[in-house]
Amino acid sequence: MSYFNPYSDTSFFGFFAVLGIRFWGFLTGKLVWSDLVSDEIQLIVLGCVALGAALVGVFLVLRRMTMLANALSHTILLGIVVAYLLSQTMTVSILILAALMTGFLTTFLTTFFNRVIKLQEDASIGLIFSTLFALGIVLLTFFSRNVHLGTELVMGNADALQKGDISIVSAVLGINLVLGLLFYYGYKITTFDPFLAKAFGFSPLAFNYLLMMQTSATAIGSFKAVGVLMVLAFLVLPPLTARLLTHRLHHMMIIAAAIGVAGAMIGVALSRHILTFCGVGLSTAGIVVIVLGCFYGVSMLIDFSRRSRYDSPIIIINRQNETDCSSR
Amino acid sequence: MNMSLWHFFTDPVLRAPAIGSMLLCMVSGLVGVLVFLRKRSLLGESLAHATYPGVTGFILLAGFLNLQEVLSGLILIGAFLSALIGYWVIDCLEKKWKVSSDASLTAVLAFFFGAGITIASVAQHQFPNLYRQMQTYLYGQAATMTDIHIVIYGVLALCVILFIAIFYKELAALLFDTPFAAATGIAHRFLEMTVFCVVVLTLVIGVRCAGVILMSAMLIAPAVSARQFTNRLSLMFVWSALFGALGGFLGIYSSVVLSQSFAGHYSVPSGPMIVLVSGSIALYALLFAPKRGLVIRYIRIAKFRAACVQENLLKAIWRLNQEGCAIDIPLLIKKIGFPSFYLRLILNRLIKQKTLYREGVFYHLTRLGIKNGARIVRLHRLWEAYLVYSLGLKIERVHKSAEEMEHILTPELEEKLTLLLDDPKKDPHQQPIPEVVR
Repeated sequence: MSYFNPYSDTSFFGFFAVLGIRFWGFLTGKLVWSDLVSDEIQLIVLGCVALGAALVGVFLVLRRMTMLANALSHTILLGIVVAYLLSQTMTVSILILAALMTGFLTTFLTTFFNRVIKLQEDASIGLIFSTLFALGIVLLTFFSRNVHLGTELVMGNADALQKGDISIVSAVLGINLVLGLLFYYGYKITTFDPFLAKAFGFSPLAFNYLLMMQTSATAIGSFKAVGVLMVLAFLVLPPLTARLLTHRLHHMMIIAAAIGVAGAMIGVALSRHILTFCGVGLSTAGIVVIVLGCFYGVSMLIDFSRRSRYDSPIIIINRQNETDCSSR
Repeated sequence: MNMSLWHFFTDPVLRAPAIGSMLLCMVSGLVGVLVFLRKRSLLGESLAHATYPGVTGFILLAGFLNLQEVLSGLILIGAFLSALIGYWVIDCLEKKWKVSSDASLTAVLAFFFGAGITIASVAQHQFPNLYRQMQTYLYGQAATMTDIHIVIYGVLALCVILFIAIFYKELAALLFDTPFAAATGIAHRFLEMTVFCVVVLTLVIGVRCAGVILMSAMLIAPAVSARQFTNRLSLMFVWSALFGALGGFLGIYSSVVLSQSFAGHYSVPSGPMIVLVSGSIALYALLFAPKRGLVIRYIRIAKFRAACVQENLLKAIWRLNQEGCAIDIPLLIKKIGFPSFYLRLILNRLIKQKTLYREGVFYHLTRLGIKNGARIVRLHRLWEAYLVYSLGLKIERVHKSAEEMEHILTPELEEKLTLLLDDPKKDPHQQPIPEVVR
């Protein structure tokens, strides 16, 4: 890319200033689609990823299904590799098909191992995703003759994003938004009261599968930018942060989405700032993850001080704690 | 090059990876039992990922300070420290902020891994050598082990085995009944801390071989396989160690053989291969282990069902025989309603068991057949009598239960029932209970 990048040599605040000016330019039509530079592509892609992941993540966290999401983020590698080997292309539709297949397969296998073979849940999740991930890596290195492709899939490379990558993340974001709005009520009721949901005719199991499909679509949409593993941070950290700040579901979704997008913006700006002043090109996705982690840390401290100020213990019914009592 | 199995233990290049990964996988098999039985297998997963920032950070530090000689030691320390921090964060999240266990594990995993990758990206352009080294820790690199690693893993294995052997009783109490362990004065907190340290130590030493992403599989897979073969803790340790070692060796073996058979065009990574092999062993154990394997279980169920069908048919023939009917296939179809093909199949089986014999179109019971048929009817009616006379159930509700119990009751139970009911001659439906045929 030989053209001029207006963001080069900007600092953290300078980045936002330039961003504002350019955004105005896009709005008024002075700048067109083809004028997008790499920083803006990063911003759009990471923002879309963060937004979509936050919406899905809220339900993952509330339904205590994050470990299944973790498993998915590993097995999605196999899906990507198999899809690539079979079709030799990486079009949006192929990738989304692969995501759906992997999502279904992972969920089905873990449920099968847990319910039919009667293996305890943690072990069945751990066993399946690590074996499938290993299979993915072996296939990848075997057929691509390129070990680095594997590292790129896992670590992501936000700095090598191109305009074409916007299409898949926006497609995934669109899917997540549409499904999220369409099934908001179903998700809500199956999350908080599965029995009532059943009585109303919503199958919690079907919504589990739907959620896992959405998760895998999110993971596969974002692997180029953030890698299959770091997308977990986008899925889990913003909802956890939002959970500390509110007790209402739709507030939680809005806050989580806002935190995700803010994290993406700050991350990209920080990455540019560090490149300008230290001359080190850091992994942008990694920085976003760290920023999200810091948000969580800050909200934990806010929560902690609020709790100690009123000194009223909030009783949170936590099923996990009941089972853990024996181990303490 | 001709590769024999023995070659893997003698060849100076192959020896270290083969023996090293066997030892390491054996240790992780042993340690895996501890986390598996506490149902915290995924803690290993999170902590293995949590070692990554320590690994990358200390590699970078060593690069800056020119400490290449003590690099492996530094990496160990870094990995250990960051795993400890990871555990502390998980613990805080779960206990102080009441975050559910899965969410805190996942959050720590993702955040630490992201931090590790950010640190790695510092080196990406400036120190390509260090960056390559950091990347090997993602998937592990068993192939470049040297003899010194055999020694390290050997010492680790010895320590873990000694630890388990010395504290075996205390560990058993801790694993299966923590309140009991606390009540009997076992220093369970100290022991728990020690177990945790052993787990982290194994993870930290193992990431070089299997990589941070796949290390947890080495803990889970052997323990899963071992659980399928035994109900005893001591045997489970042994099996798990064996399965671990087997997976480690076969993984290295297949990786080397596959790489060689493609003459260096493709290289098959050893870490993922070990995991793949261990996972396959676990899958095999889950499906085909005697007693607990899924397929075996289903076969047993199918066998039992077939035996029930045979017994039911025998019972029907015995009854018809009592009534003095000549038994042929049309009569049986009319009475029982099986399709003719299926009926012939079961009849043939009964003939093979020498309970029936055939004369023209008619079937007759042998001595054994009469004895067995009488026994089934006897059990059926005894059970009905028991339900009605001893438990006071209504007469019309006992038949169904007796239909099931007649296949399950053992001779000892039969004797007890006979004694209890004072050897009844008639069942509640006023049908005669046949005598025991000797």
